[in-house]
Amino acid sequence: MNAPLQKKICMLGGFSVGKTSLVKRYVQSVFSETYLTTVGVKIDKKTVELDGRVVNLILWDLAGEDDIASLRMSYLRGSAGYVLVADGTRPTTLEVALSLRQRVEADYGPLPFALLLNKSDLKEQWAIPDAELERLRQDGWWVRSSSARTGEGVEDAFKDLAVRVTA
Amino acid sequence: MSTSPDILEGLLRPSAGDTGIDRKTLAGLLLEIAQNLQPELRGQQNGVRPGDVRLEQLRRLLLGREIEVLSRLSDVMEDPERLAAAVGRVLPTAIAQATSDARLGHVLAPAMEKATESSIRSDPHKLVDILYPLIVPAIRKSIGETIDATFQSLNQSLKYSLTWRGLKWRWEAWRTGSSFAEVVLKHTLVYQVEHVFLIHRHTGLLIAHVAAENAASQDPQLVSSMLVAIQDFVKDSFSGAEHQGLDALRLGELRLWSEQGPFATLVAVIRGDPPEELHDTLRSALSRIHAERHQALESFDGDSSGFADVEAQLSECVTLGQKAPPRVSLRWLVTLIWLLPLLLFAGALGARWWQDQRLWEGYLERLQAEPGIVITELGKRNGKFLIAGLRDPLAADPRLVLRQAEMDPNRVVMSFVPYQALDPQSVLRRLNATLDPPPGVTLAIEGGGIVAQGSAPRSWLERARAVAQALPAGAPAFDPSGVRNADEADEQRRDADERRWQDYVARLRAQPGIVITQAEERDGKYLLAGLRDPLAVDPLALLHEAGIDPALVVARFEPYQGLDPEFVLKRLLATLAPPPGVTLAVEGARIVVQGSASSPWLERARVAGRMLPAGAPALDLSAVRDINDGEIGKLRDVIQAHSIRFDNNAALPAKGQDPILDQLAGELNELTTLSGSLHMITRVTLTGHSDDKGQGTSNLSLSLARAEAVRALLKKRGVDPDLLQVRGAGPLEPAEADSSEAARSANRRVSFTVGIEEQQ
Repeated sequence: MNAPLQKKICMLGGFSVGKTSLVKRYVQSVFSETYLTTVGVKIDKKTVELDGRVVNLILWDLAGEDDIASLRMSYLRGSAGYVLVADGTRPTTLEVALSLRQRVEADYGPLPFALLLNKSDLKEQWAIPDAELERLRQDGWWVRSSSARTGEGVEDAFKDLAVRVTA
Repeated sequence: MSTSPDILEGLLRPSAGDTGIDRKTLAGLLLEIAQNLQPELRGQQNGVRPGDVRLEQLRRLLLGREIEVLSRLSDVMEDPERLAAAVGRVLPTAIAQATSDARLGHVLAPAMEKATESSIRSDPHKLVDILYPLIVPAIRKSIGETIDATFQSLNQSLKYSLTWRGLKWRWEAWRTGSSFAEVVLKHTLVYQVEHVFLIHRHTGLLIAHVAAENAASQDPQLVSSMLVAIQDFVKDSFSGAEHQGLDALRLGELRLWSEQGPFATLVAVIRGDPPEELHDTLRSALSRIHAERHQALESFDGDSSGFADVEAQLSECVTLGQKAPPRVSLRWLVTLIWLLPLLLFAGALGARWWQDQRLWEGYLERLQAEPGIVITELGKRNGKFLIAGLRDPLAADPRLVLRQAEMDPNRVVMSFVPYQALDPQSVLRRLNATLDPPPGVTLAIEGGGIVAQGSAPRSWLERARAVAQALPAGAPAFDPSGVRNADEADEQRRDADERRWQDYVARLRAQPGIVITQAEERDGKYLLAGLRDPLAVDPLALLHEAGIDPALVVARFEPYQGLDPEFVLKRLLATLAPPPGVTLAVEGARIVVQGSASSPWLERARVAGRMLPAGAPALDLSAVRDINDGEIGKLRDVIQAHSIRFDNNAALPAKGQDPILDQLAGELNELTTLSGSLHMITRVTLTGHSDDKGQGTSNLSLSLARAEAVRALLKKRGVDPDLLQVRGAGPLEPAEADSSEAARSANRRVSFTVGIEEQQ
């Protein structure tokens, strides 16, 4: 039998970008959200199937902080990749995501990651220009808009990341 | 093709990068092959031509690769630096593979020792620095564990040394030759290892997990990651634990023991009280796993397949446990052993009961002494004291009393129904609460009743009197009569003021020509309103007499005509201005005029009488005589009947007129006297006349002269000349109209006219 493969993935993003609610419906979760506020991290599991092989993404949902300095970087140790989440209606959260990525890169080197721009269902409040995203994509970023309400982009992001961390 | 020694020589000469080849044999061999292929060549000795390039080509064809490899190898071997690099690349693997060979240790040990020694000699601080983070936690951990173990064993020993079981275990220890602590641990520590997780340290991913049959758990992959997260959290949050990590957690009867290896952490979830030696068991299992699967653990990347053997090792840990030993069924012994604690327990209970009871009785005593509290029921249920009764809401709070009596309030259930207590104390309390006596008043119990003393405002006094009358039957009497009225002086002053005011108003009402429509006191001021005849007395003038401050009085009077006889009289007196001989007086409902007056005045008086409004007294003029009708009128008529005769063209009276003049003078003097007494002014006009003979102007002057002459004659006879006026009428006012001599003689005269006027 082929034992399931496990990969540690960190979820990062500024304060209240909707990280936790984004994955809530798509993951297996046993811990309460109070861990986020107490320990600063909550662990969920997302199972993805790749070519008949089951990959368990162990998601470390890190408490959202707009103050990058207060992030517990030690939680990222051993991560195979990470998901950056920003709020598409608040451009500052994209800046936070960008600086989070720099911070991670500085400490742990280049790792596969995906950028999700959340709250895509709030079209009229969308505040991030397409040109900005296009520039990121040209830099080799994997960028998707996502929505906790519709589920848009979530499955894709995990699947794509699973492919990249198991390659 | 030919051979020659030159060719052989050429072959045998080592070419560049071509070492250690036996060229001679090679050449021989090649020759032999050639001869076999072409027999005709056999006759030729050394038929290979020197410098035949084909030979060299052949050699390259056959051995080219080997030659290249060998040359590279020799290059490496000969260059010490390259050789060192090459060996360095394989050395770790070589050593790793040789680790199982005990000789490696032996061989390396002296070199290691020397190296360490020289390092220490050259700079001992370096090694100390290196070892410091290892040594200190290790020492701390070791000491901690030793103390833990000692405590645990001490605890257990003390717990069991005096019991039957303890005695039995001592016997077993003596019998088996092991320590008592060991025996105690063996029997008392009931535990079960329920889960064992092997977690990759770097990624926090689960490598293997084994659970006991009956153990429940959440997804082990999630649990293991969360455990690592929590350990990281503790490490980050508390700097002291940096190198140590979290190696024990306890939650109720669950314990989490964690053993850290270089690559993996072993976490055991244990239910119950595990012995300290379980740490050793877990530690050795972990080091065994590390020894066997070192490489696999190091390079673990989330793929846990291929760790089946590790799971087998973990399973051994999960089987660890110690079941509770069965109860010894020596009933009598048990009874005996229990007897002492039971007795002690009973004694303690008894002491507690006695203590409770004493406190309870003390409490009841206090409560019963409290006025306004009546206990109707006492009891005990489920270890709690019950108390029920009546309580005046103003009585002491039974719960406060409870605290004073040092009783535990949780042990007392109380239910009190409110009622009104009638004992003097409670009534006093209630009076104090309801009447709220002012500072100058004290209420006290005196001879079974309650007496108030001091001084209070009247309002309070009245309230107190009302309350005293409203006290329920059976309650002690309340006597507020000892309280002085603090408002008395004020009240008296107010009463006097009030009286003065009332008197004043009454007096005012009695005044004619004043009608009071409003007289009241408001805000310390007196308001007065009404009607006032302008002839009536001034109300403000009366204030002084009444002793009332005019500043306190606001008076508003509308003027009106009073119909009171007095007033009508006054008004008549003012408007008619009666002459001195007339008096007006009120007689019953009439105003009676008396005396004598001139006709014009009388006429005016009559008009005024008729103008009086309805309801006013009538003006009675019947008693007034007309002045002309009286004595003075008669005298006037007498005087006016006289005339003095004159001769023709004479200015002096004719002969025989003197007696008339004498009489006339007497009458005129009488008129003067009479008019003086009647407050009349009389004027007598002497009019001189002439006959119609002669010229008009001379007649006029003659007539005036005749009047003047008569006045002079009268003056001579004592008549006041001021009384007499003269005028000349000439022939214009004849007494006889014809022109006979007799008529003419009658017309030559002086006539008299008396005018009577009232004195103004």
